[in-house]
Amino acid sequence: MTTVEKPQYRVIGTRPIRPDGVEKVTGKALYGADIRLLGMIYGKVLRSPHAHACILRIDTSEAERAPGVLAVVTHADLPVAADRVEELGESAVNVREVAENILASQKVLYRGHAVAAVAATSPHLAEEALQLIKVEYEVLPHVLDVLDAMRDDAPLLDENRRTKTLMTGELSEKPSNVASYNRFQGGDVEAAFAEADVVVEREFRTKMVHQGYIEPQNSTANWNADGTLTIWTSTQGAFAVRNLVAEVLRKPIAQVKVVPMEIGGGFGGKLPIYLDPVAALLSKKSGRPVKIVMSRTEVFEATGPTSGTVIRVKAAAKGDRLTAVKASLFYEAGAFPGSSVGAGSMTMLAPYNVENFVIDAYDVVVNKPKTAAYRAPGAPAAAFAIESVIDELARHQKVDPLVFRKVNSARKGTKMVNGIAFPRIGHEECVEAALNSDHYRSPIEGPYRGRGVASGYWFNGGMQSSVVVAVNTDGTVNLIEGSTDIGGTRASLAMQLAETLGIPYESIRPSVVDTDSIGHNDVTGGSRTTFATGMAVYEAGMAIRREMVARAAKLWGLPEDDVEYDAGIIRSKKDGRQFTFKELAAQSARTGGPITGKASLVARGVGGAYGTHIVDVEVDPDTGKVTILRYTAVQDVGTAIHPSYVEGQIQGGVVQGIGWALNEEYVFDEQGRMVNASFLDYRMPTALDVPMIDTILVEVPNPGHPYGVRGVGEVPIVPPLAAIANAIYDATGYRFTELPMSPRRIVEALNGLSG
Amino acid sequence: MKRTYVQARINGEERDFLCEPRQSLLEVLREELGLTGSKEGCNNGNCGACSVIMNGRVVNSCCVLGVEADGAEITTIEGIARGDRLHPLQQAFLEEAALQCGICTPGFIIAAKALLDREPDADEHRIRFWLAGNLCRCTGYDKIIRAVQRAASQLQEASS
Amino acid sequence: MARVTIPATLRSLCGGSPELEVVAATIDELLRAIDARCPGFYARVVEDGRLRPELAFAIDGEILPLGLHDAIAPGAEVTIVPALGGG
Repeated sequence: MTTVEKPQYRVIGTRPIRPDGVEKVTGKALYGADIRLLGMIYGKVLRSPHAHACILRIDTSEAERAPGVLAVVTHADLPVAADRVEELGESAVNVREVAENILASQKVLYRGHAVAAVAATSPHLAEEALQLIKVEYEVLPHVLDVLDAMRDDAPLLDENRRTKTLMTGELSEKPSNVASYNRFQGGDVEAAFAEADVVVEREFRTKMVHQGYIEPQNSTANWNADGTLTIWTSTQGAFAVRNLVAEVLRKPIAQVKVVPMEIGGGFGGKLPIYLDPVAALLSKKSGRPVKIVMSRTEVFEATGPTSGTVIRVKAAAKGDRLTAVKASLFYEAGAFPGSSVGAGSMTMLAPYNVENFVIDAYDVVVNKPKTAAYRAPGAPAAAFAIESVIDELARHQKVDPLVFRKVNSARKGTKMVNGIAFPRIGHEECVEAALNSDHYRSPIEGPYRGRGVASGYWFNGGMQSSVVVAVNTDGTVNLIEGSTDIGGTRASLAMQLAETLGIPYESIRPSVVDTDSIGHNDVTGGSRTTFATGMAVYEAGMAIRREMVARAAKLWGLPEDDVEYDAGIIRSKKDGRQFTFKELAAQSARTGGPITGKASLVARGVGGAYGTHIVDVEVDPDTGKVTILRYTAVQDVGTAIHPSYVEGQIQGGVVQGIGWALNEEYVFDEQGRMVNASFLDYRMPTALDVPMIDTILVEVPNPGHPYGVRGVGEVPIVPPLAAIANAIYDATGYRFTELPMSPRRIVEALNGLSG
Repeated sequence: MKRTYVQARINGEERDFLCEPRQSLLEVLREELGLTGSKEGCNNGNCGACSVIMNGRVVNSCCVLGVEADGAEITTIEGIARGDRLHPLQQAFLEEAALQCGICTPGFIIAAKALLDREPDADEHRIRFWLAGNLCRCTGYDKIIRAVQRAASQLQEASS
Repeated sequence: MARVTIPATLRSLCGGSPELEVVAATIDELLRAIDARCPGFYARVVEDGRLRPELAFAIDGEILPLGLHDAIAPGAEVTIVPALGGG
């Protein structure tokens, strides 16, 4: 670990066992599909076979009479949704569009789009009943490619959609599949191009890919006769589910309770809702609890993969400086607007200080599932483009690619393309650590072997968190929080509380509770939990410290200013009398009652984070197979609260990036059907495909957080695409501008080159 | 659909149940027997989250019919610990932080146990090869492999 | 004095200026002060008494969920950016 200005901690930086670990290694932990309720029945969803069609008629009468069927629902069962926008966790959502995606009303916009649902006494009977639902479609021409969708003659997904210029709110005159457009601009790119030593111009393409969480979406709902509704689901945000379900079903928020079950992976894909209102309506109609679990095919076809993209970059260098970048980013939004092109356009140049830039960002609807967030959404594709071009520029200028990045690095005060000036950041430190790493200093030799590097950035999030901390009379502590735990945050939060209170980690019991039991928490995503919920934990801990001081002062008959709290000891400054945390806790009833601390806040002081990756590959020119020989990920993690989980986030993000770079893609046939909708052909990395992933944790503490925390979860997926493309270039002399760099494409490219 | 009566020895216990011919062993374990530790990730034998040991072999229980379990000896994740004593693999997964969301963990522990039972000194490559049938999306596999190596050396020490 | 970066597509309202300095104690005052120099700016970004939901404020380097009545410290650096999501 490379550390900059870090204090000595007792608990932070150690590696204790996570509190929910034993349940998970013994199979006792309950994930969404594991829930069992008395009288529970099972739901299944009927989905459109067409990529684009009008729904003329839905006849559910035969299904309603089928054996075991207790309820059938269509869009007609949803309350009419106004075209309103609600804040879902981190971004605004259009409620009408959410309701449309959950059950289509007049049009289906992608193959897999939900049109009806059935609840029956067994999942098999429900599936059989689906086949009895008759839907009459008028098939329409569809469009799958983002550039095709922008043409004047492209089939329109929504005749009423106009292109909105994001900042001005102006709408285009003619209808379009381009939902929005934005531009960032600074300096004078044309002048810089004219004076450059070299200008590189490239077009890059990435494909739609899926987050690939192993647990399919699920939802179990119980609608009581009085209208109260409970939902058990695997989600990244129970409060987001609750608020959105309440909006879609037009219920008062307090009538809806969401119980977050353990979640088997999310990466952003379990932020939207798909099944919850459907399960709720089926429960309402049948009078029974209803569980719906998606199949893997449904997960691929009907949840929220990330955008395929076309990105055009023209960039210039003079000497060892990156002097100008002109880029156009075209991102598929899927069936409804809202791709992550905005984030892509803002993160692309974040590692660098570039004065002259024009970046145009287009959000384009196509007949594919509506895209959702996937780990640093928007950033990986944009980094693929720019980091590849930087590689070319650096090579042309005969500058080491890491040195080039260091020379041009953003620092505190550098402005992002959107005008925001960076606070203290750690890109330069990451590049330094990469330059000095054992990996970078080791030679790479051999035919068809090569090395590539790339950097990447993610903003990380702050937003809202609420916690309550309750001190028990034996000195143990309950930490009540609402951030669903997707990667070990129960541990990192308990560790921050232990550090704040000066008590052992093992004496703290963290619980992730339902929406009736704690104040609002924004979603677990955006790399925000250890930072923002951690900040709430710290504040609640400080409140308890103040209360302990007050209690001791009372017992000793001293003014509070004469009492101090230090590492779990409450001490009189005057005469050295002291209580341990445990001793004071034991006296709570007699000194004023239960000792609790709480905090509800909007976390401020977020620190963005950088990663710089080094990868060595070997390419087999006959089979096109790429072997990852060695991978080192350097990342600025602020302060690594629990280093093992920080390392784990990095390793996981890297391997997702490896899959994205080398193999993963949605393959569509001409009818707009995904032909590889299974884990067999949607090829994610296995244990045999990757080596150990080395991590170098650079700690540049975030001055905005009491323990210096920066979010860590998303940055690691940003650099790998370009790092691997750059390594393959180094190995073969061929520069790939299209992903994935799958065996077939490599063989074709190398044969074209040599033949 | 008429249900068949099936008897099997599961985690050392004689159990019996009724199941339809179309129900997979995975479905039976989870729905009829309340053993929800084995997970459904794909239902077509590609992710290994449903791995159990059946008559000494690792199988994807989603690809085995419930009726095929008649007379079989089956070990699921629920049968790996002894009371409150964790198996070295389980302990190693905790200590090496080899799980993040944990959904694939039962499958990995089952598969790894099957490996170490027959090849106690499997090397890294052999471990990766054996576990290639278990998908994990969270960890990148690094710490899972280290956990299996750690458990392997502990098991070898214990037996020597 | 707050320093405001004007988003590229709104600069035409400001005679092309990429940056402005305005005096304002709250977000609303800031937007109205900008509007005074860039006629039409306020109506472009505010809807239903709040910033349009696809937009977000960034103050002193951070993107924050601010309302029109939120205070701005003197010397703050402000801009408007596309609203974001993480995953």
